[in-house]
Amino acid sequence: MKINAIGLYTMLRREVKRTMRVMVQTLVAPVMSAALYIFIFGTVIGSQIKEVSGVPYISFVFPGVLMLSVINASFASASSALYFMRFTRGIEEMLIAPFSYMEMLIGLVGSAVLRALMVAFLILGVGLAFGAVSLEHPIWFVFYVGTISAIFAILGIIVALWAEGFEQLQVLNTFVITPLTYLGGIFYSVTFLPELAATLTRLNPFLYFADGIRSSMIGVNEANTTLGLIIICGLLVGLGFLVVTLFRRGWKIRS
Amino acid sequence: MLANMSSTPMLEIKDLVKVYGTGPKAKTAVNHVSLSIPKGSFFGLLGPNGAGKSTTIQCITGISQPTSGQILIDGTDVVAEYKKARTKVGLSPQEFNVDIFSTPTELMDFMGGYYGIPAEVRNERIEKLIKRFDLTEHRNVKFQKLSGGLKRRAMLGRALIHTPDLLILDEPTAGVDVEQRRDLWAYLKELNEVEGKTIILTSHYLEEIEYLCKDIAIINHGRIVAEGTKEEFMKEGTSIEEAYLKITRASNANLS
Repeated sequence: MKINAIGLYTMLRREVKRTMRVMVQTLVAPVMSAALYIFIFGTVIGSQIKEVSGVPYISFVFPGVLMLSVINASFASASSALYFMRFTRGIEEMLIAPFSYMEMLIGLVGSAVLRALMVAFLILGVGLAFGAVSLEHPIWFVFYVGTISAIFAILGIIVALWAEGFEQLQVLNTFVITPLTYLGGIFYSVTFLPELAATLTRLNPFLYFADGIRSSMIGVNEANTTLGLIIICGLLVGLGFLVVTLFRRGWKIRS
Repeated sequence: MLANMSSTPMLEIKDLVKVYGTGPKAKTAVNHVSLSIPKGSFFGLLGPNGAGKSTTIQCITGISQPTSGQILIDGTDVVAEYKKARTKVGLSPQEFNVDIFSTPTELMDFMGGYYGIPAEVRNERIEKLIKRFDLTEHRNVKFQKLSGGLKRRAMLGRALIHTPDLLILDEPTAGVDVEQRRDLWAYLKELNEVEGKTIILTSHYLEEIEYLCKDIAIINHGRIVAEGTKEEFMKEGTSIEEAYLKITRASNANLS
């Protein structure tokens, strides 16, 4: 049976509507945060720090800040949308419709990626407007934002399936995503670290996420790009396969 | 026993079993149910609360996964060919399974989109359904703000947006006032008799079943305990309600 393209487009349309319904939370807040980061890291702290990896401190930090917002947007979009659908049983609208399990995944992830791209381009606009960053490789920028947000959208789906309460939606974010993000070389260069810490940081996939976005924006990278691409694509395929399997089994969505 | 109108039944359930949970806590909600509903039938599925009506419906529509058995909609297996099977069914469930912040127009629009209906056709159908269910004044009101009757009408509109061959209505008139209920009955009759839709109806209003349904089955404790045409149920001069009470009490006695 052919792909349900209108159905997938409808899922995207519905998410855009949902994003706009709570625009202050979904779009305005990340942009405000980005502007504050520019002020703090560009003017207050940045004036005290010399260049990092050959670029001003704000230029080094800003791509990571953008990545943080992209991760939060996609994770929150997918997890809250699916959990709310489970909570209100609105998920049944999707279950009774002619969607394959892969289409369900594409629709949910695509919706979250769309929101993340909106956030990314708004923050990029702020960064460009204040001269904090440039955009050296636009296609790679879209690639990294798209794939990284897709990974976190899939993680959001897994958490939304697992969670039995709103509080549990925050567990992965609090105990895994946030610590690994902050320890993944967003605010500092991996070259600042002692050998052991630098080696441990290189085992952190978030280093490669931030590095990919940074290289696409300002052309500077500290990690192995090929290894980063392998990690990103591997996570995307592995987690995607896991979710399709969970959907097929009906875990927490079919009684 | 059922009035046969076509060689391929609209719905065929073969030895359906649905068990919730595992081990000592396992509960059998549907226990070896078999049914064959011909095309064009107006079928009443009756039973006490917790008898297995909604679970059977959920297995037909894909909300629940059958433990064993087979369900065919117009010859299409609902598990093996689930995408194709789902295009043939419309569901108005007992519980409101919607995004409560959506309006009736949006509910129909999104659901129509999910079924792959192009925007132009979808908008035309939405206008007709909004008018038919007298929702014009409330079309842009959030679902959570609608009265019980309006919510039911919005759900029916959503179930009909893709013009399904098989319409499943689980307690569609709960909370609907008498006038609206009569209007809905007339519409359902028209859908069945003029448009040839096969309709499965569950309801605790047995007068509704008596007025609308041609064929009836009674399910109790997960098993079909009686099945036949309306006339067969009423052949001894009893009403459907009297026949229903007699059958369910007898089946309860057999089980105890």
